[in-house]
Amino acid sequence: MAIPRSFRLLEELEKGEKGGSQACSYGLADGEDVTMTNWNGTILGAPNSVHANRIYSVEIVCDNTYPDKPPKVRFTSKINLDCVDQTTGDIIIEKFNTMNNWKRSTTIEDVLLDLRKEMITPVNKALPQPKEGSTF
Amino acid sequence: MSAIPRRIVKETKNLIKDPVPGIKTSIPDDDNLRYLTVEMEGPDNSPFAGGVFNLELYLPEEYPMEPPKIRFLTPLYHPNIDKLGRICLDVLKDHWSPAFQIRTVLLSIQQLLGTPNPDDPLLSDVADLCKNDNAKYCEVAKEWTKKYAIPSPKD
Repeated sequence: MAIPRSFRLLEELEKGEKGGSQACSYGLADGEDVTMTNWNGTILGAPNSVHANRIYSVEIVCDNTYPDKPPKVRFTSKINLDCVDQTTGDIIIEKFNTMNNWKRSTTIEDVLLDLRKEMITPVNKALPQPKEGSTF
Repeated sequence: MSAIPRRIVKETKNLIKDPVPGIKTSIPDDDNLRYLTVEMEGPDNSPFAGGVFNLELYLPEEYPMEPPKIRFLTPLYHPNIDKLGRICLDVLKDHWSPAFQIRTVLLSIQQLLGTPNPDDPLLSDVADLCKNDNAKYCEVAKEWTKKYAIPSPKD
């Protein structure tokens, strides 16, 4: 009796359109796509780190299995994190707990905010970062 | 998972047994009585006449304190319905009352097809056409109806 995919995504879209969080933004890649599959997001770099004031772009794909399964997420902006494939920008699910231990109630916004938290974990904090504005 | 409230069981049963004329409701998944699909005939004397429009409806946990969630799956050209099928209608928002039923909502939506409200639009370009050149608006809406909502003859 859980909320169906479409209404769940409409709720997320509405929150995103109202500017859900200050640290991230997200919306449909194509505002006329009734299937609501492809999304674009941005994450503001974590403060007090090398990422501060940087803006990272990501692509999010919510296929028919969402939200039972996590979305596919890919950084288009270059970023050096343990959970990001350094050739493609794809999130390596096994290394990102939010997606690895996926819960149906987790939202796109949660994913983006948790990626932001990844930027300042001990394993990532000291990693050298590519030049600002470069892309995968 | 909580049990389905009696009100929902009663309302959905009634809708299927005693449907609103021109509005057919089904429950595609017996395991989820909160999710309904709807086939709505366009009202006569409107550019949507002759068309059959598909909608999906979900009754949230909070129903009936909160309104049902509903959207069109068939594209239509209407100032209060956007490209994702979202509907701008007062009873679905701040004019919702727990005394209303799914039936009330479906009737209001069908009525909205015949009487668009371009002064409270979701799509301003469609609203402008609706207000300033109604004949042209009706023509485009009819075209869309023909293209997306008229069932093709079975072979």
